[in-house]
Amino acid sequence: MIAIIDYKAGNIASVKNALERLGRACVVTSDLKKILSADGVIFPGQGRAGAAMPNLRKTGIDKVIPKITKPFLGICLGMQLLGSYSEEDQTKCLGIFQGACRKFPPTLKTPHLGWNKVELTQESPLIAGIPDGSYFYFVHSYYVDPVRSKKPLVSAALNKERTSNGVDALEAHIVGKTSYGFDFPSIMQKDNFFAVQFHPEKSGAQGLRLLNNFCELCL
Amino acid sequence: MFVIPAIDILDGKCVRLAQGDFADSITYSNNPVDVARDFEKQGAQFLHIVDLDGARLGFPINSEMVFAIAKSVSIPLHVGGGIRSYDSAKKYLENGVEKIIVSTIAIEKPKLLECLFEDFGNSRITVSVDVKDGKVATRGWLGESTKTVSDIITILKRVGIASVIVTDTAKDGLLKGPNFDLTKQFINKGFETVAAGGVSSLSDVQEFNKLGAFGVIIGKAMYEGKIDLQKAQKRVAYRNNLTKRIIPCLDVKNGRVVKGTHFSDLRDAGDPIELGKRYCELGADELVFLDIAATLENRKTFCKLVLKIAKEINIPFTVGGGISSIEDITKLLNAGADKISIGSAAVKNSNFVKEAVEYFGSQCIVISVDAKRQNNGWRIYIKGGTEETDIDTIEFSKQMEQFGAGELLLNSLDRDGTKKGFDLELLKRISKSVNIPVIASSGAGSVQDFLDVFQNTNVDAALGASIFHYQEVSIMELKKFLSKNNVPIRV
Repeated sequence: MIAIIDYKAGNIASVKNALERLGRACVVTSDLKKILSADGVIFPGQGRAGAAMPNLRKTGIDKVIPKITKPFLGICLGMQLLGSYSEEDQTKCLGIFQGACRKFPPTLKTPHLGWNKVELTQESPLIAGIPDGSYFYFVHSYYVDPVRSKKPLVSAALNKERTSNGVDALEAHIVGKTSYGFDFPSIMQKDNFFAVQFHPEKSGAQGLRLLNNFCELCL
Repeated sequence: MFVIPAIDILDGKCVRLAQGDFADSITYSNNPVDVARDFEKQGAQFLHIVDLDGARLGFPINSEMVFAIAKSVSIPLHVGGGIRSYDSAKKYLENGVEKIIVSTIAIEKPKLLECLFEDFGNSRITVSVDVKDGKVATRGWLGESTKTVSDIITILKRVGIASVIVTDTAKDGLLKGPNFDLTKQFINKGFETVAAGGVSSLSDVQEFNKLGAFGVIIGKAMYEGKIDLQKAQKRVAYRNNLTKRIIPCLDVKNGRVVKGTHFSDLRDAGDPIELGKRYCELGADELVFLDIAATLENRKTFCKLVLKIAKEINIPFTVGGGISSIEDITKLLNAGADKISIGSAAVKNSNFVKEAVEYFGSQCIVISVDAKRQNNGWRIYIKGGTEETDIDTIEFSKQMEQFGAGELLLNSLDRDGTKKGFDLELLKRISKSVNIPVIASSGAGSVQDFLDVFQNTNVDAALGASIFHYQEVSIMELKKFLSKNNVPIRV
């Protein structure tokens, strides 16, 4: 059973519909026990970080997510909330990925809306069988930024980690990237935590394949 | 974003100062012409040249050197330093300099700035805003004004200046990083903003790119070999793989797809779910379903239909027709719609748009506008095109953007159902006026019409109805045709 976390942020029905099309059992829930005992967890979302985070705190879901050891998939806002911070409403987020969420500059049409290419940068079971350069459907105004900024967008701990490893900690978790004015991460993975900026549930055949790959990992 | 090498000339030599201190200069070359040629060879797209003696003394001193550079390279020059009279500006602009950079006159002689603006136009004047301890510096950074950043923004907006160079003087020439926040203030006010001062690494350059700067000027870091021009250009090259969308629109009445001309003469065009699924398979990028009866009775049937569509279709779809309350939206979103199109209700009560955005987020609120040409502009019509308003379409579109609408769907009553092509003039104006995605609608009659709208306007998507329903044009063929003609399309 796959749990789809319901935290009052947007179109959850479409994720459920997609899993049903794949013939996968799922439950839409905000019950902490159900989330922890599921074979896999999907964390969808649309809307504002500043509205979503308080909901997660109120329900205690924010404390549960880092404890999940089963496959976990953040979608769109769900990906952004896995970062450490969002410029949107200056929101402290869950910190699974050490990255900050930033708004696209005013020189780009916002939201970034439509079908865009995902260039795959490293192997991951999530993208098995998906050709490099496949198109997925995006709708978002914020993106996860892997580049260090002078402003304390990212935590001091991360900067230290970067310096000591000599590699960009966040960069290492990027599985796919997408170009909109510049490149931003569109698929990420850190251990059992996966995240996609696009909507696989709305991305036709390749989107379904990605969701199916995720479900396979949950068996 | 452009990466722009700087050449500062002092006493005929190419130098760099630290924080604008004339006593603290390093000479990099005795021959600025060679330096300019070298930058051109490395791939510079234009050069930023400052006559430092001129800036200090108040009139151009090294202009002969500038003219020598202009003759030696074939890339545009942006030149500043001591341009404080009409004649000195004119002399540069008429002798091979593409753009003059002024600073002091914006504070001390705004009338002269207006005059230059009038005579030479926006594209040939840029104002350098040099900020020292929160105040705008003048006279080669030796003078101080009482003007703050927001004062100078007001002045420049009033004159109509569009492009600026922004420098934090405290950062310049130290290679310790720039002032991003200062630059951001100008970008957010809509200026074409070039950042300067303290840029010392590729990640500084990249950061300006992400903030939306038009260009970044690099001085010392390039002379000291800390930034390689070509590497920097590669890092910030504009990349965009977002495709244009093709959207079939299905008008639904009593559970069937119908289509007419000018919102009347309805003909049956099939079952919405079957049609929707077929379009999906053929490569439609999105679908729109409009409940054109939109009575209370029909709304229930429509909701059920949306529920079925959501189960069957795995691309995004928008629904609309008579949406006028938060409750309407909630029901349709819960049924599985991705976006909601609001028409008349947005015109009658713009607070409703604000409220809907607040509730559900910009990403699912599409504003659908029915426009009809009138004299020099386009008026908005409501109630399915039956009732005229005195609202201007362009102004209304801008207002909707301000209220947080995620997208605009532009219908033209003049073109609807005519198959004479999209109203390119209207769409050109709208897509230039707003910074949210725009969907072109009404008038598509051939594949060429779609190509025309993507080549001539900045719209993001194009919508068609009967042209697809009656299989006059196949979506797959259309997308292949557009792709062959270099429109970015998902095929």
